[in-house]
Amino acid sequence: MRSARVFFSRWQNWVGLLIVGLFVFMALAAPLLSPVVGEVQGAFMLVGRSSDRMPYPPSETSPLGTLPGQVDVYHTLVWGSRDTLVFGLSVALGAFLFGTLIGAVAGYAGGWVNSVMMRITDAFLTFPVLAGVVFLQQLVAMTIESMGGIYWFNLGFFGRVVDFQFEPPPFAVFLMHVDPVLVSLILFSWMPFARLMNTMVLTLKKTEFIHAARAIGARPWWIIRKHLIPNAVGPSIVLAARDVGSSVILQATLTFVGLGGASPWGILLAMGRDWVIGPGGQLFNTWWVFLPATLAIILFGVAWNLLGDGLAEALEPTSTVKINW
Amino acid sequence: MPPMLQFLIRRLFAAFVSLIIITMVLYAGVMLTPAEARARLYLSPGRGGERATEAFINGLIEQYHLNDPYIVQYGIWIQSLFQGTWGYSPTLRYDVLEALLDRTPVTLELAFYTLLLLIPLGMASGLVAGWKPGKWFDNIFRGVAFLGTSIPPFILSMILLAIFYVKLGWLAPGQMDIRTSMALERSGFIEFTGAMTLDSLLNGRLDVFPIALKHLAMPVMTLLLFHWASLGRVTRSAVMNQSGKDYIVAARSRGVSERHLMWRHALRAVFAPVLTSTALSAAGIITSLFIVEIIFGLNGISQVILISMRSYPDAPAALGFTVYSVIMVIGLMFILDVLQALLDPRVRSEVLNQ
Repeated sequence: MRSARVFFSRWQNWVGLLIVGLFVFMALAAPLLSPVVGEVQGAFMLVGRSSDRMPYPPSETSPLGTLPGQVDVYHTLVWGSRDTLVFGLSVALGAFLFGTLIGAVAGYAGGWVNSVMMRITDAFLTFPVLAGVVFLQQLVAMTIESMGGIYWFNLGFFGRVVDFQFEPPPFAVFLMHVDPVLVSLILFSWMPFARLMNTMVLTLKKTEFIHAARAIGARPWWIIRKHLIPNAVGPSIVLAARDVGSSVILQATLTFVGLGGASPWGILLAMGRDWVIGPGGQLFNTWWVFLPATLAIILFGVAWNLLGDGLAEALEPTSTVKINW
Repeated sequence: MPPMLQFLIRRLFAAFVSLIIITMVLYAGVMLTPAEARARLYLSPGRGGERATEAFINGLIEQYHLNDPYIVQYGIWIQSLFQGTWGYSPTLRYDVLEALLDRTPVTLELAFYTLLLLIPLGMASGLVAGWKPGKWFDNIFRGVAFLGTSIPPFILSMILLAIFYVKLGWLAPGQMDIRTSMALERSGFIEFTGAMTLDSLLNGRLDVFPIALKHLAMPVMTLLLFHWASLGRVTRSAVMNQSGKDYIVAARSRGVSERHLMWRHALRAVFAPVLTSTALSAAGIITSLFIVEIIFGLNGISQVILISMRSYPDAPAALGFTVYSVIMVIGLMFILDVLQALLDPRVRSEVLNQ
């Protein structure tokens, strides 16, 4: 309970919790906040003719205006929070589970197994995520193509087009349903978890209660699951909270520059970009193509960061130092 | 052998080992695909994409032992990498290694100007802020740094473009506007490297230099704000750790001036933690470099993947780009390592005594 008291004693943590709660509420109550009236594709709703390339200012039917192509901004903002939350949480959870497992197993095994596994972990740290994301997408594309499929990248903003002239083999169907950006973000963000868990486990292994557990004949897997992981999990939760925000920002970035990913908020910005930085575009004349999505992305990142900092302070058993910002 | 040289050789060897491990991991990823798919990595010019027949693919599988165990295939692949055959990219219609090398100067140019401003600005502001935490400068610094790390670079670059390019017209994206580059072409301007600031000096055309800077300013500003904030923060917390230490108190009691204490004693001690944390985020720095390049339309090496992700699959380009960018990250880490050894007295003596 001490940690809860520490957590709620700082206003920054309240702000973080409040904003995250707001996004969760938006995601859960999406059908109430923005009922579907018209043609819907994913998080996007058409409120006019898609050939109309004019962004219209806020009106009664579309509270935050429309983008070129008559996509309703408010609708995407609300419904997009679903995809965004799911994406961020899955990346954080995936990286958390994968990294924790690798770090714990390596640490428990010790010796040369540990050093080889940790060396590989360090090697992953030198991958620029961007290269990893592109590489994985190309591998998937290459595999599907060698199975006789036709693969095209990036038609419009909605990712890829895969076509088979015949009944696709089961593995190809599986690949078509996996989001390569999600997988590669997990593959390239598990390393801090593994390193953290590894150090923890190596330290804990020397403590008496683990020796005791071994002495009464507990199996290694049981010791890892029951003793090592629960004891070392606190700092990993902090990392995971920050990962939720940063992975969502990265996904939006990738979507914006056209390297894959289907972040709804990123697509909003990409669709509206001509009215911000194109000829005749202005930041404040057509603010609704730029500001709502920008604020959503920034607030999402900031909130999870604040939450992470708050947790870091609360979960640190001997914390006397304040995190100063 | 002088100790510094020994140290350099040891670090170079370590970098080489990292490269081998990473390429092994990469090829393990490639091994997950079927052999027919792997054969496409070795397609030669004129055989791009769908034109490769089944018989031709089978020939490639035979030639490069693509049905053999992992280690044989990896050996063949890494050998071809070292020989400089990185494959042919069907979307670029160009040799992958050549395409990457041609575009490297532009990327390095951007990195150079960013680092040139980033390191002094980031370290100085972190130092001043952390020396007297809670004072007015520290408060301003924390506010701006919070903003800097909260705004993702792609959004910041849109804001900069909207203000400085669209609204004010002071700065411009891209490498050179079309009118200037046509005029330059007529006047016999030679593109030695593609990095315009360097080219203008090599051509002896000092009037082109400011125009090139005008085009570089926004990408540099974007990278600068983002990384300045994190570098400044790391420096700040490192300084705060140092400022109560005995040697500082002792020096102060000897009558060393406060300014001297801060800029000599504390700065030296801060180098090690700052460079270590920068080395750990080297991959992130390189990624942000690529993203900014893409947004501002610079013809750097990220152009290779941008083109490869526009239409049909192009695995050779992606694989080559990945290896190349990993080499860049390892190189950056190596430089930071050596810098740390040169600048930090503690690390230096450790190196020399080993």
